[in-house]
Amino acid sequence: MIAIAGPNLPLELLTATGRHAGVVGFDPDLETPRADRWLESKFAPWARAVLEGWAQGAYDDLDQVLFSRADDTSQRLYYYVCELQRRGLLGGPEAIVLDIAKIPRRTSLDRTVEKLREMGERLCVSEEALEKAIVASHDRAGDGSTAPGEGRVCLLAGTNPPDMRLHEAVARAGFRAAGRTLAQEWLDPGAPAQRDSGDPYAALGRKLHARGEGPRSFADPAAALRAGLAASGAEAVVLWRIEEDEAQCWHLPQERAAIEASGLPSLILTRRDWLGRDGSAAQIESFLMEVSA
Amino acid sequence: MSQSANQRSRKMLACTAEATAYQKAFGQDLRRRVVDDQEPYAIVQADTPHELFHAMGIPIVTNQWWSAYISAKQLSGRYFDAMVDKGFPANSCKYCSLGLACTLANEPETAPWGGLPSPTVLVARLTCDCIQHVFGLWAHELGSEFFAMEAPAWEHKEEDWYANARADWERVYQPDRIAQMVREMEDLIVLLEERTGRKFDAAKFETLMERINEQEGYIWEAARAIGEARPCPVSIAEQMPNTMIPQWHRGSDWAVAHARKFRDEVLERIAQGQGAATQERLRLMWIGAGVWHDPGFYQALEENLGAVFVWSMYMPFAGPAYIRDIKGRPMEALASRVASMNETLHLPPWMSGWITSEAKRCGIDAAVILLPPDNRLSQSGTKLTALALEEAGVPVLMIDADMVDAKIWDHDRMVAMVEAFLRDKGLA
Repeated sequence: MIAIAGPNLPLELLTATGRHAGVVGFDPDLETPRADRWLESKFAPWARAVLEGWAQGAYDDLDQVLFSRADDTSQRLYYYVCELQRRGLLGGPEAIVLDIAKIPRRTSLDRTVEKLREMGERLCVSEEALEKAIVASHDRAGDGSTAPGEGRVCLLAGTNPPDMRLHEAVARAGFRAAGRTLAQEWLDPGAPAQRDSGDPYAALGRKLHARGEGPRSFADPAAALRAGLAASGAEAVVLWRIEEDEAQCWHLPQERAAIEASGLPSLILTRRDWLGRDGSAAQIESFLMEVSA
Repeated sequence: MSQSANQRSRKMLACTAEATAYQKAFGQDLRRRVVDDQEPYAIVQADTPHELFHAMGIPIVTNQWWSAYISAKQLSGRYFDAMVDKGFPANSCKYCSLGLACTLANEPETAPWGGLPSPTVLVARLTCDCIQHVFGLWAHELGSEFFAMEAPAWEHKEEDWYANARADWERVYQPDRIAQMVREMEDLIVLLEERTGRKFDAAKFETLMERINEQEGYIWEAARAIGEARPCPVSIAEQMPNTMIPQWHRGSDWAVAHARKFRDEVLERIAQGQGAATQERLRLMWIGAGVWHDPGFYQALEENLGAVFVWSMYMPFAGPAYIRDIKGRPMEALASRVASMNETLHLPPWMSGWITSEAKRCGIDAAVILLPPDNRLSQSGTKLTALALEEAGVPVLMIDADMVDAKIWDHDRMVAMVEAFLRDKGLA
C-alpha cells in the first residue's frame, strides 16, 4: 500500500496502482519526543506528528510513502526519513518523492512529466491503467454527490487545519465552514486531467504542473481568495495562518486588501498555533457570534 | 537592538585589508554602473550561476551580499520594522528578505545607494517555500521580472559526496538534475541576450570556468593547510572575507591573484608557527551563515579561553562545491556546481556527512551551530548534523539567532553562552 505525505500529488496514478492508502494518518496532538530530536522548529507541524508516528511503527503496514516536491516541508521530510532509515534510527515503509516542478516554463513542465512517467514505471502503472483512472476521475467530478450545505457560510482560508476543530468552532456560532483540513487538501483531486489525450502521463503532468494550490504555486493567492469568497457565497471570512507558514504569509497584505475590498466581516489571525492552543477556536466563535448579533 | 553589536574583529593578514578595500571599491564601481550609468544589471541569489553573468559582462547584485551590506550598516531592524508596518508577519524569513524589506521601506535617504534601481531580472533557485514569493514580490516592487530556477529533488545520495564531486560530478549530482539546470541556464542566457543586447561568449565562459578552478584550488589548498596546522594560523573572521570576496568575483584576474596571495600568506604564517590566537587550546567549528552584524564574536574567547573558531563553511566549501573537472562540458560542470550548492549545506545526508568529515579533518574540539528561528532552510539539517557530530565525539552547542537580524543578537550574552558551554563540557 502507498500513502501520501504532501500536496499536489498524482491521485489518479495512485488510484491506478490499486494500492492507494490515502493520506498518512497522524495524530496532531501526539507528543513528539523523538521527532523533536531530529526536526527543527520551523517545519510545518504535521511533519513532527508524521515522523513520530513513523518512529512508533504506525506506518509499518505500508509499502511506500510518497512525498511531494511541491511543498518544502514534504520534500525535506523525505530526506530526513531516508537519512534516519540509513542510520538505522527509523524503520517502516520506503520513502519516495515525486519531483513536481511548478515554475511556469516549458522546462519545468517537461521535468514534471518526465518524473511522473518514471514514477509510473516504478509503480508499474501502464498508460492504459492511468487513462482509465483519469476517465474515472471525470466521472467522479460530475456525479454531483457533494450537495451544497445549508446555512450561512464562513470561508475558512489560509493554513489547512489538522482536523475539524476550527470548522466545529464555526459551526458552534451557527455558520457552515467552507475550507479544507490538511488531509482534505492533499486528497483534493482538483480539476480532472485531460482525457483521451493519447498520452495520459503528459496530461496528468500538465495538471500537476499547473495546479494553483500550495506553497510552490505561482498562482495569485489573493485572486484565489477572491475566487473562494465568490464560490462559497461566504458572509464572513476567517484568514488563519500558523507560525510555521513560510510561503503564503508573504501575500498577507494582498489577501488583507482582497478581504477588505469584499466588504465582508473578517477575522485575520496570523502566527497561530496549529493545534489551536492559543484560543483560535474561541476567537473564531466569538467573532462569528458578533457577526450574527 | 543588541547590547553590543558590531564588535570589530581583529585582522592579521595583509590580504584581508586588501580584499575589503577591493570590495569597497567594487561596491562604489558597481553603484556607478548600476545607479549612475544605469547599466542593465541583475539581482541574484548566491546559489545561482553567477558565471553566466560574469561571462556576459553583466553586473550583478547578490542578494546575500546586499543583505550583509545593509546589515553591516545597522539598518536591518529599521527595514524589517517597515515590512511589518506594511502588513507582513514579523516572523517572516529574514535572510533572503532584507533586500525586499529595504525596497518596501522606500527610504532613499537611509537606503544604501539610495535604494536599488530596477534590474533587468531577478534570479533565484527555489530552495525553500518562501524564496519564490520574496523574489516575486521584489520583482513586482522594482518593476522587473523574476526568473526562477528549479531545485530538483535529489534522489542519488552519497554521504561522502565531497570526495567525488570534482571528478565524478555527473554521478554525484544526478545526470537528469544537471540536464535540467543546463536547460534553464540556456533559457536564462536567451533572456539576458534579449534584454541586455550582450552576447554569451562560450569560449570566454570556458576560460572563466578554468580560472575559477584555479582560484578555488588555492583556497582549498589553504583550507587543507589550516586544517592540519597547529595553531590555526587564521581566524574564520579572516577566512570568510578572503574566500567570499574573491568568490563574488570568481574567475576574474583579481580574484585568482587574491586567492593565490591569501594561500601564500596562510602558508607563510603556518611556516612561521604563527597562530590566530596567542595560545590556542580549543578548536571550534562555526556551522551556519556568518553573523555579519557582529564579526568580533568569533574572536571573543581567544584571549581568556584560547578558544579559536578555526572552521566555518565558506572556506572549505571552496574545494568540493566549486572545483570541477570540466571535461569539455563547461555548462554541465557549472550546472553540477550550482544544482546542489544549497542542498549540500542544509540537507542530510550531504550536510551531516561533509561537516562530520570536516570536523575530523580539522581536529575540532566543539561545534557551535546557528539556528535561525524564522528560517526553515537555514535550520534544516542542523539537528541531524549535531547528532552525527556528537556520535563522532564532538560536543555541539546550538544557538538561536539570526545572521542578519541584529535585534535578537546580544554579543555579551552569546559569548557567555559559548563560554558556559565549553566549561560545561569540561573543555575550558
